[in-house]
Amino acid sequence: MPEAMLPPETILGAWVAAGLTLFIYSFLYKDNPLFKLSEHLYVGISVGYSVVLAWHTVFLRLLWEPLKKSIGEAPASPDSYVLLIPAALGLFMLTRFIPQVSWLSRIAFAFVVGFGSGVAIPRTISSYILKQIEDTVNPLVPAAGGGFSAFMDFALPQSGVNTVILLIGVVSVLFYFFFSVEHTGAGMVTARTGIYFLMIAFGAAFGYTVMSRISLLIGRFRDLITFSGAAYSYATLVLLAVTVLSLVGWEVVVRRQNGERTRE
Amino acid sequence: MIFLKRQLPLAITFVMGVGFILQYYIPHPVSEDAITTVSKWMQIISGFALFLGLASLFHVHAVKIKRQVPGWGYSLALYVGMVGTMVAGFWNHGETMADGGQTAFGWLYDYTMVPLQGTMFSILAFFIASAAYRAFRARSREASVLLVSAVVVMMGRVPLGQFLVPWTWDVTQWLLNVLNSAVRRAILIGVSMGAVALSLKIILGIERSYLGGGKDQ
Amino acid sequence: MKAFARRMVGIDRRVIFLLIAAAILLPMLKPFGLPIKVSPEVKAVYDYIEALPERSVFLLSFDFDPSSKPELEPQAVALLRHAFRKNLRVIGMTHWLTGTGLADGVFSQVAAETGRERGKDYVFLGWSPGGSALIISMGQDLYQAFPSDYTKTPTRGMPVLEGVRNLRDVNYMVSLAAGGAGIEMWYVFGKDKYRFEMAGGSTGVIAPGLYPFLRSGQINGLIGGLQGAAEYETLIKRKGTATAGMDAQSAAHFVIIVLVILCNVFYFILRGEKGSPR
Repeated sequence: MPEAMLPPETILGAWVAAGLTLFIYSFLYKDNPLFKLSEHLYVGISVGYSVVLAWHTVFLRLLWEPLKKSIGEAPASPDSYVLLIPAALGLFMLTRFIPQVSWLSRIAFAFVVGFGSGVAIPRTISSYILKQIEDTVNPLVPAAGGGFSAFMDFALPQSGVNTVILLIGVVSVLFYFFFSVEHTGAGMVTARTGIYFLMIAFGAAFGYTVMSRISLLIGRFRDLITFSGAAYSYATLVLLAVTVLSLVGWEVVVRRQNGERTRE
Repeated sequence: MIFLKRQLPLAITFVMGVGFILQYYIPHPVSEDAITTVSKWMQIISGFALFLGLASLFHVHAVKIKRQVPGWGYSLALYVGMVGTMVAGFWNHGETMADGGQTAFGWLYDYTMVPLQGTMFSILAFFIASAAYRAFRARSREASVLLVSAVVVMMGRVPLGQFLVPWTWDVTQWLLNVLNSAVRRAILIGVSMGAVALSLKIILGIERSYLGGGKDQ
Repeated sequence: MKAFARRMVGIDRRVIFLLIAAAILLPMLKPFGLPIKVSPEVKAVYDYIEALPERSVFLLSFDFDPSSKPELEPQAVALLRHAFRKNLRVIGMTHWLTGTGLADGVFSQVAAETGRERGKDYVFLGWSPGGSALIISMGQDLYQAFPSDYTKTPTRGMPVLEGVRNLRDVNYMVSLAAGGAGIEMWYVFGKDKYRFEMAGGSTGVIAPGLYPFLRSGQINGLIGGLQGAAEYETLIKRKGTATAGMDAQSAAHFVIIVLVILCNVFYFILRGEKGSPR
């Protein structure tokens, strides 16, 4: 049974997507006009998308519609106009571009920054500091018994030996970053231990970063493979040829121009 | 005027900061209503703040086009992309799907924005491989430890590594859950203490850079 | 030998680019299919959802944009398939403006294949600004934070949101995060006060930084990167794009490991030579 034909806008979309993808990848050869064009298009389209969504969400959904509704239902009540306060503060924020009244933006920023700092302090202390310290100094010996073998179980993150190693790691790394005290004697041993812990963590971070970036590449290649099929009129293959030929042509033109410039 | 330009913003920061620190510990309905209302206001004000960044971008590229500096054609392409997307977006009332089908705005999102954004970040994979080949050398004991840890994790986190060298899986799990956790915890505690200190400095008016500079700060 | 090492150390980086491209492309065209081992942190998320009663409220926050789509979209698809199979009520939302269309697309796709209805079985609230302020707003009153959903349907009175006033009424929450505005923010401004259970799904870049939260129980599970997504697909017994990508992932990792080893071999051969690479 023949496969159903894809709609024309889907095929066109595949050609555009494959083309833009290959233009971005052309940077791997050298910075070139195809890459620059795609890069600028990316910024422009992202900004356009953000403006549309921000308008519909912030102005219409959060401000205009609730205000219209509340004023419509109770026009005499002061509570109906309460949303005009954040609207005014938002407009104050935009005065940053008008030098004569840019001081108004300070009021808006003060409001936002004050709120942000105020809500962050107790929550940061609770979540990032107290909770983390609490878990670090948990009892070393498992409460339910289990003896030496349970204590020495490296495979279980909560085992006694791992809790000791974790405690040593946290203290030594914190000490390494404490520069108010000279790192000599026992301090030097602690700081060096901290450095080795840091190196292991950075190695793990590198491994994960490689994994992450390769995954992104796999995702793009999957799309390019899909768009190379007959259903999409071999978009990837044709556009790959176009990109390569364009780069060759551009390279020839640039070299010729450079040659002429040198002769002059 | 100095009061409006300097003292008033600092006073607002102080009142808001102290108020919402105390609010966390007060379960009274008035306190809960205050945070409900103000957090809603913050959503609206944050939305306006978005336009600050966007306006700045408009301005930079508009100047490039006006002065026809080298490469101004690319700025024009940026504007075309931006205006085209905005026209499609407002035409479709900000919707990517309508009547069971995709709108022009949705088409632009799926076939231009998603591939462009995805590809821009995926290109880093090539550079990370190239950088690893050129620079990842065991020059010292510490660098060797970093190298070994990275290789073990790279093997332990993929099926082929787990299949060929099974112990790399267990060692990777241990590295992440114990050694890595210890380091990240220490960094988290340290950074959080710094963040709390900075927030206190802002509330107390010692740190004023958020006001935007100027001789009357 | 030294001449060879010198030539290899100075090799054009475009050769390395081609090697990486080949390492990824070939296994995608001819997969070899190795078993995927499941980690305890991924299993913890699966077990929690598996144990939730029917019609429990599950909040899924798509805190990423298209740049992290290959890693986090497979996680989202796997989680949604599991949630719909368990007949949970799913609430979706996003903190990342440019990820909104992507998130809605995932919901539409998985809902269509599982026969789930918008408004009745799931709702996608869309994006709203504010970050931490949004979470606090949701924690106080969901309908003030999101008066309507992504399709502009009023949220009050929606069957899927029956009995849900704020975040305290959420039974389980997973944040799929690509950066700062994600898992940590949800814990600090959400779970800390509103006491819902939560887990994280993250890109590989930020995953190591989330292990302290996993250790302390602040998050009950962690799905890290494409490997994590493949593990989840294994658990729900439904292979998807993550599993399909693991062969290429394996090959690419091995190429990079070989490159790193070679670079060090050449370095040791040339070490001490005048003008050698330092």
